[in-house]
Amino acid sequence: MDHDEAVRQKATERYLLDELDPDLRDKFEEHLFDCQDCALDVRAAAMFVEQTKVILAEPPAVSVANVPAGAATAKPGWFAWLRPAFALPVLALLLAVIGYQNFVTYPSLVATANQPQVGTWISLNVSTRGTAANSVRVHRGEGFGVLANLPPQDGFASYTADLYNPAGKQEWSRQIATASQETRQIYISGHNLESGTYTLVVNGVTPGGESKELSRHPIDVQIQN
Amino acid sequence: MQLQSFDESYVERLQAGDFRTQEHFVAYFSELIQLKLRSRLNSPQAIEDVRQETFTRVFAALRGGKIRQPERLGAFVNSMCNNVLLEHYRASSRDSSLDDEEQQDFPAANVDVLGAIAAKQMGEKIREILEEMPERDRRLLREIFLEERDKDAVCSDFGVDREYLRVLLHRAKQSFKSLYLKNVAARPPGAVAVEKR
Repeated sequence: MDHDEAVRQKATERYLLDELDPDLRDKFEEHLFDCQDCALDVRAAAMFVEQTKVILAEPPAVSVANVPAGAATAKPGWFAWLRPAFALPVLALLLAVIGYQNFVTYPSLVATANQPQVGTWISLNVSTRGTAANSVRVHRGEGFGVLANLPPQDGFASYTADLYNPAGKQEWSRQIATASQETRQIYISGHNLESGTYTLVVNGVTPGGESKELSRHPIDVQIQN
Repeated sequence: MQLQSFDESYVERLQAGDFRTQEHFVAYFSELIQLKLRSRLNSPQAIEDVRQETFTRVFAALRGGKIRQPERLGAFVNSMCNNVLLEHYRASSRDSSLDDEEQQDFPAANVDVLGAIAAKQMGEKIREILEEMPERDRRLLREIFLEERDKDAVCSDFGVDREYLRVLLHRAKQSFKSLYLKNVAARPPGAVAVEKR
C-alpha cells in the first residue's frame, strides 16, 4: 500500500475503527511504519480517540442546554430582584424620579413657600360663653388660624385647647402656656379637614393640675374645591 | 518528538549508540508498536513484553550491521515486531514466556513535564472540538469508543452509515492535527506524555 492509496481508502480512520481486514491491515501497517505522514495521522487520531473516551466518561457539566426542566421554573426568590435584568431598570426609574423631584417638584415647592401667604383666621374670646358659630371657608388641604383671647389674671397655670371633629371625636389636644400676652395663636392644619362643624374647647389648668372647661366654640368649616 | 528522516546517517547514529537518536527511535516506534499490538493482544503486559523484545532484536540487528536499507528502517521494525508477535503467540500456546530471554538495555519511553503540559493543551483542544460537535455526534462517539458497542448497531440506531463515522473521525482528527503536530515537534526526543486516567 502506498500513501495515496492509504489516504484514498481513509486507512487511518478505518485502522483505528478496526475496519480493515487482516490482510489490508498488515499492508497498511507495513506502510505506516515507513511513512511519517501516515504515522502522524494515526498518532493524532489515536490521541483524539483516547482523550475523547476520557472526556465523554466525565459526568456531564451543568450547562444551559442541560438544565433540568424543573429548574427553569423554580421560584427565583427575593434575591432575584437584585439581578441586573431587574435592578438596572429599577435603578434607572429611581434616578428619573429623584431627578424630577430635584429639578421640578422641590424648586416649585420652595418657590411657593417663599411667596407671601394670606391665611384664613378667626378670632375667639375664651371668656365668652354661648357665642355663635364662627364660619371659615378654606380650600381643600388648607388650614386656618384661630386667635384665642384668653381671660386676664384668672389664676390658671396653663390652658389646653381640644379640637373635636363634626362626628364629635377628639382630633387633638394642645397645651397653651400662660404668657403676658392675652391672645394666643392656634393653627388648625388642613390635613384631614372636612366640611362640618368642629368644636374647639378651651380648658384652664390650675396650679394643682385641675382642669376646668372655660369655653366651647363651634367652628363651621366649609371646604372649597 | 521531533520529526527526523530515517536515512543512513540516522542508522549510523543508532549503531554508534547516540543516546538522543536512540531516545527518538524508541519513542517514535513505541507508539506505533503499541497501536499495532492493542488490537492483537489483550494484556498490557503482553504488549509491553512484545515491544521490549522487538527493540532488543532491532538493536541487536543494528549492532550486527544487518540493516541494509536505512530508508526502510520502519518496515524493518514492523517486520521484527511481527516475528516477535508470532513467537509470542506460539509461546503463549505452549504456556511459556519470553521472560527467560536475554534482555538488553535501551532507552525507555519516559514522561516529561513539558510533555504533560502539551498533553493538557491537547486535551483542552479535543474538549473544544467535542463541544462544537452536534449532540448526536458526541453520543455516536461515546457509544463507539467508550461503550464499545457494535458499530453497525450504533450506526443503525443513529440512522447513519459506516462512512459517516469515518468522516466524523477524519474531520475531528484534521481539527486536532495541527496542534498535535506543533506539540509533538516541540517536544524533546523520547518524551512521551499521554494523559492517563
